[in-house]
Amino acid sequence: MKRFSLLSPRAGAAFITPAGLLVGAFVIVPFFWVIYVSFTNRTLLGRTALNPEFVGLANYLELFSPHRFLDPGQFGFSLVLTIQFVLFSALLGQAALGMALAWLLQQVPKPVKAMTETVVIGAWILPEVVIGFAWFAFLDYDGGTLNGMLDAVGLPRGDWLLDYPFWVIVVFNTWRGTAFSMMLFNSAFASIPPSYFQAADVAGASSWQKFRDIGLPLIRGHVVTDLILITMWTFNVFTPFLLTKGGPGNQTEVLSIYTYRVAFRDFDFGKGAAVGVVVMLINLAFALFYLWVARKRTPGGAA
Amino acid sequence: MARAVSTRRKIGFTIAAWAVGLAIFFPILWTILTSFKTEAEAISSPPSFLFFDWTLENYTTVQERSNYFRHFWNSVVISLGSTLLGLLIAIPAAWSMAFVPGKRTKDVLMWMLSTKMLPPVGVLIPIYLIFRDVGLLDTKTGLVIVLTLINLPIIVWMLYTYFKEIPGEILEAARMDGASLRNEIIHVLTPMAVPGIASTLLLNVILAWNEAFWTLNLTAAKSAPLTAFIASYSSPEGLFYAKLSAASTMAIAPILILGWFSQKQLVRGLTFGAVK
Repeated sequence: MKRFSLLSPRAGAAFITPAGLLVGAFVIVPFFWVIYVSFTNRTLLGRTALNPEFVGLANYLELFSPHRFLDPGQFGFSLVLTIQFVLFSALLGQAALGMALAWLLQQVPKPVKAMTETVVIGAWILPEVVIGFAWFAFLDYDGGTLNGMLDAVGLPRGDWLLDYPFWVIVVFNTWRGTAFSMMLFNSAFASIPPSYFQAADVAGASSWQKFRDIGLPLIRGHVVTDLILITMWTFNVFTPFLLTKGGPGNQTEVLSIYTYRVAFRDFDFGKGAAVGVVVMLINLAFALFYLWVARKRTPGGAA
Repeated sequence: MARAVSTRRKIGFTIAAWAVGLAIFFPILWTILTSFKTEAEAISSPPSFLFFDWTLENYTTVQERSNYFRHFWNSVVISLGSTLLGLLIAIPAAWSMAFVPGKRTKDVLMWMLSTKMLPPVGVLIPIYLIFRDVGLLDTKTGLVIVLTLINLPIIVWMLYTYFKEIPGEILEAARMDGASLRNEIIHVLTPMAVPGIASTLLLNVILAWNEAFWTLNLTAAKSAPLTAFIASYSSPEGLFYAKLSAASTMAIAPILILGWFSQKQLVRGLTFGAVK
């Protein structure tokens, strides 16, 4: 890939520098700052806001203190909850449903496909706050649409947000993110030569057989990309906060919400920073894994 | 016989596709419908779907009570401001990566993208303190700066993929024909780069418009954009479904319109190019 020279290498480097420096500053400065604060007892307000003291590993020991680790409202509890959340909403929900939808869309006439895609994408690009509210209005006990519809057909009402908060955020996140997996798989299926499927048609293969023996194996790489990305996104997603605020109790306090609560509700910056560091390390592992896979699959990008 | 079966199957799949589309779009559709109901009708049971007295009252109330247009204006300023500033910084970088790639260009690019994978909650704490100390909390300037920075990697990356598709041969041909470097840039490259820049602009305006985490945490009443406004509207004195629906509908209308215009580019950008 020879590029026609438009800039001297030196000018080229100068062109990148501002963007590089800004991105770097925005990531690296907070990164080290968070590490530093995680070793102090800094708070948002009060005496330790201005003169934080060095407390060594105290914040980390508190996070990982063995006899309370898994209690509700503690780090371990949120970690386990987050893993369950990823498992159900990202892997089982978004990926599986997205795959089913993408395959379904391969079988329908073009205009229907375009229409469905548009609608699904529409749901995906809207602001989270609006989505959060729309779902709240749908599930609320008193005025919620779902209970209204259940009334209308004579079924009992449910207090969804109070009784099934975890499943509410799982369904919510599945709904929110399925579009991404669907689109990714869709474009992956589109890259398979149609003749493969035509040959299978001639042989009388069913849709399921075509999926199992042709479709799925040929887009394996895309599936891996998808799984890593949605795992990472779901791991960090903050949107359930808009629906449940982490409650009731701590039942939906996934890690991002837990960090937020410790730092900005309890104002314990030191401990919040310690959680931030641990979460960043987990993310770093994901990101490195993703980059490794992306590099292995195609030289030069996530495509 | 085989044809009949496959036609029937096709109809079945089509119905399924429509049903899924409708189910997914339902919460949005419902919000839009609710915005035209009275508060009483909004929570009536059984819910009325289309047959109610359509009213625009909620829209006027939202504006009168909470100065909706100030937040709308904040959203416009913040999303456009951060996008233009981002483009200004990103265009040279992407340009240089696409046309003068060095050994480490790919690594720099991937590194930039990977920063998007860090949890924002961790970065929020220091940014919050810095902003508080320099007086940028609850200012539009502060939000423009933050949103520019968080979206910069995506802008650079998207521009890069577009610039890279500009064929070098065209430039060589132009040079053969005696075009100067300046003429090449003005008459050959610019027209080819503009569509990519436009798509990037559109995507980033939508991203900035939607952004809720940073805007919620760094603004109060004065410079809150629509997303923060809606979030605050829903908390204190009970929920007003119809009014909140009206506020939401006004907040999503620009996104739906922009989004449907630029569906393909949007998907490409939002998925880091995993979908093309």
